[in-house]
Amino acid sequence: MSPGLRNALVIARREFLERARSRWFLAITLLGPIGIVAMILVPSLLTPNPAGTRVEIIDRTGVLAQPLVTGLTTVRWKPAVLAPSTPDADEMARIRDRKINGFLIVPADALDGGTIIYRGDNGSNQTVTTTLHEIVRVVVQAERGKRAGIAGDKLTEIIRPAAFEAQQTNGKAEATAGVASFLVGYALAYILFLVITVYAVAVMRSVVQEKTSRVMELMVATIKPRSLMTGKIVGVGGAGLVQVSVWLVMAALVITYRDQVLGAFGVSGAAVTLPSLTFDVIGIALGFFVLGYFFYASMYAAVGAMVSSEQDTQQVQMPVTLLLLVGLVSVTAVSGDPRGVTATVMTLIPFWSPLLMPMRYVLGGATPVDIVISLAILLVSTVLIARAAAKIYRIGVLMYGKRPGVQELLRWLRY
Amino acid sequence: MSSALAVRGLVKRFGNHVAVDDVSFEVPRGVVYGILGPNGAGKSTTLRMINDIFAPDAGEIIVLDGLAPGHAAAQRIGYLPEERGLYPKMKVADMIEFIGELRGLSRGEARRRTATWLDRLGLAQWAGNKVQDLSKGMQQKVQFATALIHEPELVILDEPWSGLDPINAEVLRDEVEAIRRSGRTVLFSTHQMEQAEKLVDQICIIARGKKLLDGPLADIQRRAAGDGIIALGLGSDAASRAAADAVLGDRALVAERRAPRARAHADGADCEVKLASGASAQQLLAALVAAGVGLQRFEVVVPTLHQIFVDRVGTSAAVAERRPDAPSGAVA
Repeated sequence: MSPGLRNALVIARREFLERARSRWFLAITLLGPIGIVAMILVPSLLTPNPAGTRVEIIDRTGVLAQPLVTGLTTVRWKPAVLAPSTPDADEMARIRDRKINGFLIVPADALDGGTIIYRGDNGSNQTVTTTLHEIVRVVVQAERGKRAGIAGDKLTEIIRPAAFEAQQTNGKAEATAGVASFLVGYALAYILFLVITVYAVAVMRSVVQEKTSRVMELMVATIKPRSLMTGKIVGVGGAGLVQVSVWLVMAALVITYRDQVLGAFGVSGAAVTLPSLTFDVIGIALGFFVLGYFFYASMYAAVGAMVSSEQDTQQVQMPVTLLLLVGLVSVTAVSGDPRGVTATVMTLIPFWSPLLMPMRYVLGGATPVDIVISLAILLVSTVLIARAAAKIYRIGVLMYGKRPGVQELLRWLRY
Repeated sequence: MSSALAVRGLVKRFGNHVAVDDVSFEVPRGVVYGILGPNGAGKSTTLRMINDIFAPDAGEIIVLDGLAPGHAAAQRIGYLPEERGLYPKMKVADMIEFIGELRGLSRGEARRRTATWLDRLGLAQWAGNKVQDLSKGMQQKVQFATALIHEPELVILDEPWSGLDPINAEVLRDEVEAIRRSGRTVLFSTHQMEQAEKLVDQICIIARGKKLLDGPLADIQRRAAGDGIIALGLGSDAASRAAADAVLGDRALVAERRAPRARAHADGADCEVKLASGASAQQLLAALVAAGVGLQRFEVVVPTLHQIFVDRVGTSAAVAERRPDAPSGAVA
């Protein structure tokens, strides 16, 4: 083993252990997925339950009030019927006094296209409006059918909703539920963004801390700056890789054993469609994580070498952070049309392929050949970026005070 | 046997500032060698080049058996940088062990030696504490251990006494003595002449990037003594003093007569003279005896390192110049 490699490994070991030994690391690795699930679940749990909504009905058709009450009672709302002549102002006052949530005005021409209006303190709540809309539609259609003389059982048959489902496919892979595969792809893109950012920035902070704690002089007297940078990136990345692997395996297990898992929460598995998180997806995600991390960590290491304090990093890291954000913003463009030109181009460019390619693959937009080409481009770019970063790093690590300008940076790169 | 270190024609520029200007010196094995100079003289820059932190713009550095600065040399050099600094969140023992491992020790060997050093420096009870929990003085000791953990043949200490209290300064001197006794070499820089004088075998004085003189301290002092400063004790007898005044007034013998320096005065001298050029101490002594002066003391003054330093560097150069700590545009 060459001395440079040996030293890089000693550095990597130190960086890895410094992170892996901290309680935070253990907590976030194990609880992270729970936190992410909680982030998705808690808002929906916090959404007010529309059951028990107090709604009063002013029916000027004379035929819709009763079926509406029946419909609303079925979904456990608390409807009441008022005289058709009740003025709006009275009801507005009752809303102000919190006596009711809202009221429904059914105009006399409701069956002939007149608009039925709901006004209430929950009028912007999606669940409330969807429920009302559905019940109003069914009730009005049923009443129209009755008026046209259609028999009850026929009527039920006519207004029964049509079954519909959208599936995501590229014509080769087995179709998966559209929304579900979108969610997995999306989650992958976000997790990759998050983890690459967190750990690449950790490399930068670690470099800056070596400068502020002045241990840098001891380190560069002891080993080559290149070994120091390589070891640091490998060590910090190792901690990240452990974390991402644990998360992906946890996700794969949950999805594979979803029936059992959901059963434990008393939910029938059949009702929930999840795409499979197969091991090829995990492998591809890890591959792009590793290379994408090296790519960005090199850049952030160079940024760290260019500044002398944590405060200074804010400005200098801006260009790198913006690059990452462009990738994140493009998530919808790629997921919207995984086989389109935008998706193809974005997943070839090394700045963004680490975030977007795993998602595109999950959505069936990329063939294995696409993956290999994209990985190859990323690999070559990473080597180039790492070399350039090592040059900046080598000179920058011992600089305190003045920050180099663009011209000076270019001069460093030529050495 | 080759020398521990040879430096030839070393030059380092930072922008337009020449930090080290054609400096050459040689450190034999087994000596304590001091690089002395005022602040900003180029001492640290020179030591950094020897440690392969900066690459010289010109000149040559040969370390131990013909090595260039770099990895192989680093395994045999110990370095206490002027910029003291450790990983604040690392445990004390881990920190020392870590540097030992990077300097070429196996992990097991590094661990054993760390334990020895912690005992030796009285830090054993702090082994499991984080570096940042230690006082500045204790952190200095840890830093010192990182320089010695791999038993280097050449120990380089940059301003080792800065920030040390008198007790720890003593501990440091003892350790330097111990290294010399073991036959290894110490190279240190300082501007504290009193500390240096107690330890050094050889010195190199540099100022404004240029070497002023180098060689064994004893030789340098002997040469400086040749400048002809003589401390005299003339007694209190009036006739004897009058005779002495006559001799000392002879411009062919004595160029200058002045009050003795404090140390000479304490030793019983009541005046000090500088010999005229061409005159020798023997001639003066003979003249004084012939004139019947009741001499109580006649001493050829060996100047202290401090005197030599001030004489050579001059008070003006002792004023710190712009420090080249921030080598903007520097290229390693």
